[in-house]
Amino acid sequence: MSRKTVRRSLWCWLALSPIVVLVLFPFAVMLSTAVKPIDEVLAYPPRWLPTRLAWENFADMWQAADFGTALLNSLVISILATFLAIAVALPAAYAMSRLPFRGRGLYRQFLLVTQMLSPILLVLGLFRMAAAIPLGDGTLVDTRLGVIIIYGAFNIAFAAWMLASYFATIPRDLEEAAWIDGCNRAGAVLRIFLPVAAPAIAVTAIVTFVASWNEFTVALTMLRDPSKLTLTLRVVNLVAGRYSVQWNQVMAATLLATLPVAVMFAVLQRWLVQGLTLGAVK
Amino acid sequence: MPWLLVLPSLVLAFAVIGYPLYEIMRLSVADVSRFGQVRGFVGWGNFSRMLADPVFVAALVRTLEWTVAVVGGTVLISMPVALVLQQDFWGRGLARTIVMLPWSVSLSMAAIVWLWSFDGNHGMVNTTLQSLGLLSGPVQWMALPQTAFPVEIAVGILVSIPFTVTIFLGGLSSIPGDIYEAAAIDGATRTQSFRLLTLPLMRGFLNIAIVLNVIYVFNSFPIIWVMTQGGPDNSTHILVTYLYELSFRLGRPGMAAAVSLAMLVIVFAFTMVYVRMQSREAA
Repeated sequence: MSRKTVRRSLWCWLALSPIVVLVLFPFAVMLSTAVKPIDEVLAYPPRWLPTRLAWENFADMWQAADFGTALLNSLVISILATFLAIAVALPAAYAMSRLPFRGRGLYRQFLLVTQMLSPILLVLGLFRMAAAIPLGDGTLVDTRLGVIIIYGAFNIAFAAWMLASYFATIPRDLEEAAWIDGCNRAGAVLRIFLPVAAPAIAVTAIVTFVASWNEFTVALTMLRDPSKLTLTLRVVNLVAGRYSVQWNQVMAATLLATLPVAVMFAVLQRWLVQGLTLGAVK
Repeated sequence: MPWLLVLPSLVLAFAVIGYPLYEIMRLSVADVSRFGQVRGFVGWGNFSRMLADPVFVAALVRTLEWTVAVVGGTVLISMPVALVLQQDFWGRGLARTIVMLPWSVSLSMAAIVWLWSFDGNHGMVNTTLQSLGLLSGPVQWMALPQTAFPVEIAVGILVSIPFTVTIFLGGLSSIPGDIYEAAAIDGATRTQSFRLLTLPLMRGFLNIAIVLNVIYVFNSFPIIWVMTQGGPDNSTHILVTYLYELSFRLGRPGMAAAVSLAMLVIVFAFTMVYVRMQSREAA
């Protein structure tokens, strides 16, 4: 490596150091507090390093917050919402990228407008809609199904848009060759198109999953029963409206809730980031 | 046949977005009880009460401050960060991953961690600033109106940077490198080529980043809700947090619907600006 590259690398890292510190600071706080015994959390002045590693925080938190149930709820809700969004977005994206039809421009604009609508703006209407739909003994309010349907619906626009952008890059010749070989249209889609599109579908699914996993507003509005809360809601409830907060347990909970997603994101970053902005730019 | 493929998505999106929209329109002109019963028609009553409510007016002004400060700060920081990340240097992949990291973290989780970091007695922000000699004593950041809101703005900026940097990186990579070489041969300095080449060529991306961020930040609920719930003393309410409080805490659904509708109009206007930009970019 030449001296010039070394110098430039040093300058670049120096220029980025403030933002790097700011990004890593909360992770350091999480890690430091999560392994502190409670008396050291409340000691003044606070220190970064604990005198011993209080791993029991994780077990205590798991019990106190009923973390396992919340984890399961988040998994079920996010997986089913992703499945719903992809299931309806996939055929729509295929139509958008392959079949010219009347009103295609209008449909694209409709998707764009729905993407701009955040659930918070409709939160009152969403709640009343859920309350108007009977289900079992009650209504759709305070059910995981209600949350799944809302997440699914609000992710359609993004998923369809992103899938369509990817599909446009898959050469048509592939399918056309299959037609010549005697494959019908559906057969060509199943045997040729879908396997080629699989990575795009996977990326879209991951992004949709993460969005559902991280969502807060709809869950806050719809879910009441402690056994149905999602992870984000559960962790927020450890803090909100409490007179005394067990911060070491809260940080243990945030660490467990964010680290898996952050690691996955870091590993897949190149593909995910490309996908995340596809909808936004072109 | 194409419509058959599009139909499921259309039905689902229409039901889950269309029906609530209809409900909000209906409630906004209705006399609604605390418990959500519609008792009659009041015309513009909810809207005039909304405009006469000092908390609403303050939240509207604060939403403007919030949006301008967060989007402005985000763009001002993201541009140099993207310019550095565009350079070829050792460890660039790692640097990009670190800068993008906040994207993966849920806003509510980020808000909790920052709330704890800014804790007046045990938070690491006070400790760090004091050990650097930047603060003489601990500050109760989240308990004071004059510090709580700026802290929230700072958190808002930090979480908006990854998305914005990504758009800028996309823009920078679309600029051919040889124009800089040509400019350098013509004797242009680095600042000159940034001002006269990079900025004009980035304009489309800059506009898109601004408009999209305006929409996202305007709608951003979790940061303020988790950190202060609009307090202390209503001093950090923006429209979305006040909307939530009106709907589910204060029991005023009629007025909440009016606020919703006003916000929908604003978002729709910005969306149209974005649509026009996109079609101009494509042309």
